[in-house]
Amino acid sequence: MSHSWVDAILAAGVVPASYVPEASVGRTDLEEFTGADPVEDPELRVHSLDGVRALAPAAVGFLDGIEQWRVVGYAGVTPIVRAYVAAAIRLRRTDRRPRTIGEDADELAITRLDRLPDAAREALERAGVRVVEISADDAGQPARALPAARIEVQKARAALERRLAERRLSGLGSDEWLVVDGVLSDSSALSAHPRVLGVVKSHGAEYFAGPELERALTLPAVRRTSVFRPKSRGARRDIYSWYLRLWPWEGNDLLYGLLRVEARAHPETVARASGISAWLTAERAPLATPDRRWDRLLYPIHDVETYLRARAPRDLLPAPGSRLPRTGT
Amino acid sequence: MIDKASPQPPPVGRVVATEQKPATPHQFHFWTANETSIGIGAIVRVEGAGSGEQGAGKVVYGVVTDGFAYSDLATPLHDVVGAEGDPARAAESPTVRQEIRLWTAAVLRQQPEEPLQPVPLGRVHVATDTDVAQALRMDAYLDGTEPTAIPVGLYTSGGLEAPVYLDADFLLGPEAAHLNISGVSGLATKTSAVEFLLGSIFQHFPPHKGRIAAVCFNVKGPDLCFLDRPGVLEEEDRRRYERLAVRAQPFERVRYYAPFKADGVNLNTLRTHPDLVGDVEPLVWGLREVLDYAEVLLNRDDIDAKADAFIDFLSDRVVDKEFDDGFGGAHRVVTFADLERLFRSIFDGLELGGGRGDTWRTHHIATIRKVRNRLSNISTRAKGLVTDDGPSNDLPWGRFEDRAVYVVDVANVDPLGQDLVFARIVSKLREHLERRDLGVEAVVVFVDELNKYAPADGPETYVKKMLLDISERGRYLGLVLFGAEQFRSQVHRRVVGNAGTIVFGRMDSDELATPGYQVLSPAIKIKLATLPIGELMVRHPHFTQPIFVRFPRPAVLRGRDGVERFPPAADLPFEDAVVRQLVKLDRRVRPNLVKDLIVDRREEDVRRALAHTRQTRPQDAFAHFKKHLGGRVAAAPATARESVPPLNPISDEPY
Repeated sequence: MSHSWVDAILAAGVVPASYVPEASVGRTDLEEFTGADPVEDPELRVHSLDGVRALAPAAVGFLDGIEQWRVVGYAGVTPIVRAYVAAAIRLRRTDRRPRTIGEDADELAITRLDRLPDAAREALERAGVRVVEISADDAGQPARALPAARIEVQKARAALERRLAERRLSGLGSDEWLVVDGVLSDSSALSAHPRVLGVVKSHGAEYFAGPELERALTLPAVRRTSVFRPKSRGARRDIYSWYLRLWPWEGNDLLYGLLRVEARAHPETVARASGISAWLTAERAPLATPDRRWDRLLYPIHDVETYLRARAPRDLLPAPGSRLPRTGT
Repeated sequence: MIDKASPQPPPVGRVVATEQKPATPHQFHFWTANETSIGIGAIVRVEGAGSGEQGAGKVVYGVVTDGFAYSDLATPLHDVVGAEGDPARAAESPTVRQEIRLWTAAVLRQQPEEPLQPVPLGRVHVATDTDVAQALRMDAYLDGTEPTAIPVGLYTSGGLEAPVYLDADFLLGPEAAHLNISGVSGLATKTSAVEFLLGSIFQHFPPHKGRIAAVCFNVKGPDLCFLDRPGVLEEEDRRRYERLAVRAQPFERVRYYAPFKADGVNLNTLRTHPDLVGDVEPLVWGLREVLDYAEVLLNRDDIDAKADAFIDFLSDRVVDKEFDDGFGGAHRVVTFADLERLFRSIFDGLELGGGRGDTWRTHHIATIRKVRNRLSNISTRAKGLVTDDGPSNDLPWGRFEDRAVYVVDVANVDPLGQDLVFARIVSKLREHLERRDLGVEAVVVFVDELNKYAPADGPETYVKKMLLDISERGRYLGLVLFGAEQFRSQVHRRVVGNAGTIVFGRMDSDELATPGYQVLSPAIKIKLATLPIGELMVRHPHFTQPIFVRFPRPAVLRGRDGVERFPPAADLPFEDAVVRQLVKLDRRVRPNLVKDLIVDRREEDVRRALAHTRQTRPQDAFAHFKKHLGGRVAAAPATARESVPPLNPISDEPY
C-alpha cells in the first residue's frame, strides 16, 4: 500500500512529524514468574548432546516477521502512527538455500480517531487504510501513546505471523518442519502440530526458581535441560519446552547463547528433544552476524528477517541525516 | 549475419547503485543470480526502470569489466567461529550464506545519447545479436547502401553468440587504419587471427572501395608458406564460419617469393616440396635495386653526408650509364661485378696516379672504401637475394591482382637482408600507391615480430622511420600495416598508437603489468592472461570498450602441418636445380639436353643465362638459355715452347 493516506491527512491539517522509535528487539516473553511442571525428569536436569544424532529434516520452513513504524503526524497531541508489519516463510531444502514460499504484509494507521479533526478522520476513511485505535486514556498523554502504539504494532505482527504459519500447516510436507521465531502457545494449531518448533530468544518469563533456575541459566554449551511444561498463562495453550545453550556463556552473560525451544505437548517431543536440540545446535553455523543477537539468532531466521527488511518500505527507516532544523536553502 | 529475429531473453540482473558504488554515465553495477551465464566481457543491455520510475525509455549497453562475489559474512573470523576452527565443518552448515554476484560494467552506448545521464537502475538483459550491433555502434556500417562491415569474430556469452564486425573505413582507411596484434608466442593466435581476418577482408571488402591485396612477410619458419592449401577444420570452426558468413576456404590467389640460397639456384624457403615449389618465384635483386635503398645498409655510425653524397653520385651518374673513370677506363655499371671493377679501377688509378691525392671526383678515398665495403657486404651476407651480376626478379609492380596475397619468405635471410627486403618492398608499395598504378587500391602489409623492426627504443633505423611514416600517413594511400608482436610495450609508441584496431591474444603477466595496460581492470587482465586459443580482445574505433571475440581457425594449412604434409625437398645439385627452373618456365625443356649444355660451364655464366631466361620468359626457354649461355670455348692445350739449344754444350768443367 502506498503512503498516500499520509499525504491525505497532512493535507487535512495534521501537523507533519517524522519520528522513528528505537527499533524493536522482537517480541518478548512474558516478564513474570509462571512456573513449570517437570515432564522428562522429576526436576530440571542437564542433558548432554554429545553423540546425539541430530534430526535432519529434508525441508525446513523458517518463519519470522518484522515491524516498522513511524509517527507521521500530530493532531494536537494525538499521534498518528504509520506502521508496517510483514512476515515470511523461507523454505530450506537439500540445496541448503532458503527460498520464500509464503509472505504477507500489512500497513496500518494507529491513532485515536475521536481526537482527530473531522477532515483528517475523513481523509483516513477515504484512504481505506486499516485504522487501529489506542485507548482514550493513552491517546491523551504522549508518554503513554507511543508505548500503546508499539503494543498495537506488535499485536499486528504477531497476528500476521500466526496467520501465515497456520496457512502453511495445511501444506506442510510429511518430512517438512516449521520453525517459528517466538512462542507457539499463541496458536492452538501451531502448538498442537508434531513438526512445528518455537524458538524463543528472549527470556522474560521465569519458569524456575532456586537451584533449578541456576541450572537452567548456567547451562553449559551444547547441552539442554529436561523437557518441562510451562504452566498455563491465560489463553496460552499447553506446550512442552526446554532450554538449549548454543555457545558458552562464561565471559558473557547468563542469557548468552541461550534458547528456549517450544514444541507440542506430547511424549514424542520428549523422545525427540535431544535430536531436535542437536539439529538446532548445528544451526549455529553460519553465524547470524552482524545481527547483535547472533548468539541466539539462527541464521535461517536472520535470513528471513533480512529478506523482509529488504522488501519493506524505505521511508519507514530512520533518516540517515540529523534531525537538525532545515535551513530552508 | 545479424539475427534480428532472436527472441528477447528474460532479465538476468538488475542495476544497483549505492553511495559507495553509484551508477555513472560511464559505469554501473548490477547483480545477478549466483548461477549466471554472465562473465567478464559479456555485453548486457539495461532497460530503464518501469513506467513512472526514473530512466524509463532509456536503453544502455555495457560490457562487464569486473565481478565481485561476497556473502553476508561480516569478518572471516565469524566463519572460523561458526565452523569451530574446522574447515571441513564450514561446508557442513545447514544453510548456505546469502551470496551476491555483483558485476561492474562499462557503458558502451546509451540510447538516446543525449542527455548523457547516469545509468538507470533498471533490468539487465544478456545482449542479443541486435543488441551487440547497437552496443558496438556497428549499425552505422552494417546497414545502408554501402556497408563496410568486415567480420572479425563471434562475441559469445552464456550460450548466446553474435557476429562482431570491424568497419573497413577504420580498418583499412581512410578514416583510420592499421591493425596491431600482440600475444605470447606458441599459441597460434597472432598469425591465425591475421590469416582469418585477411580471408574475411578479401570476402567482405566493399566493392565500392576498389581492389585490395596483401603482402605478407614470412619472417619465421613455415608460418605463411601454405596459405593456398586447405587446413583441417572442426565442425565448430565451420559453424563459426557460417555464422560469420565467411567461406571456409584457403586463399585463391597466393604468390610466393623467396630469395635463392647462396648457390643461386635453390630457393631459400621451406616451400620446396616438388608439388609446391613451382609456385615460388625467386626474389633476386641487383645493384640498382639495392642502391636505391643503400641507407638501409648503413648503420647509425655510417650515416654521414659524404657517404650519402657518394651513393647519390653512383646512383645518378654511374649506374646504367656510360662512365669514364678518369683514369682512361670506360665503364657501364649494371651489376655488382661491374661496380667492383669500377672501384678497383679507381683505387688503382689513385695509387698509380702519383701526386693526384686521395680524392676522386671530390670524394675521399675513405668514403669510397666505406661505401664499397657496405655494398659488397650486402652481396655477401644476402647472397642469393642480391646477385653480383645478372638481372633481377621482383614483385609484379603495377600488376598486383585483386584479392591476391603476396608472400615474401625471408625467414632464412640475414637480418640485414630482411631489412633491405622489407624497406624496398614497402617503399615500392608506397610509391605505386601514390601514383595509383599498383594494380590495386589498397594493400595490407603483414609484418610479424614488429618489435624487431620498430622497437620502442634503439637506433632510428631506416626501417623504423619507414614504419612510422606508414603508420602516420599510410591510411591516405591505402597502405595498411598489420603488425604483430609478442610484447606491445616493446614496439614504438607511435606505431602501435596509430593502429586504429588493436587485438590482444593471450598476454604475458609481466607485459600486462606495464603502464600501457593500466586502463584495463584486474579482471580483464586475468582474462587476457588466460585467453584460450581462438579468443581475442579487440579494440576498434567504434567500440568504446574492448570486446572479446572468438574466431574460427583459419581455413589454410598451418605452417607446421604444411611442413609435415609437404616436407621441404633437399637442395638439388646445381644441374638439377637449373633443369627444374627451366622446366618451370617451359615444360618442353628436356633435362638431359640442359645437363649436357651446362656441364663444365662456369656456374656464374649458367646463373646469368638462367636469370635472363627467367626475366624474359621466352617461348622457347631452352633456346633462349642456350643463346645467353653462349658457345663453349674449347680448352686448347698450351703449345710447347720451343727451346733454343745452347750454343755450346755445357761442359762438366766447373769453371
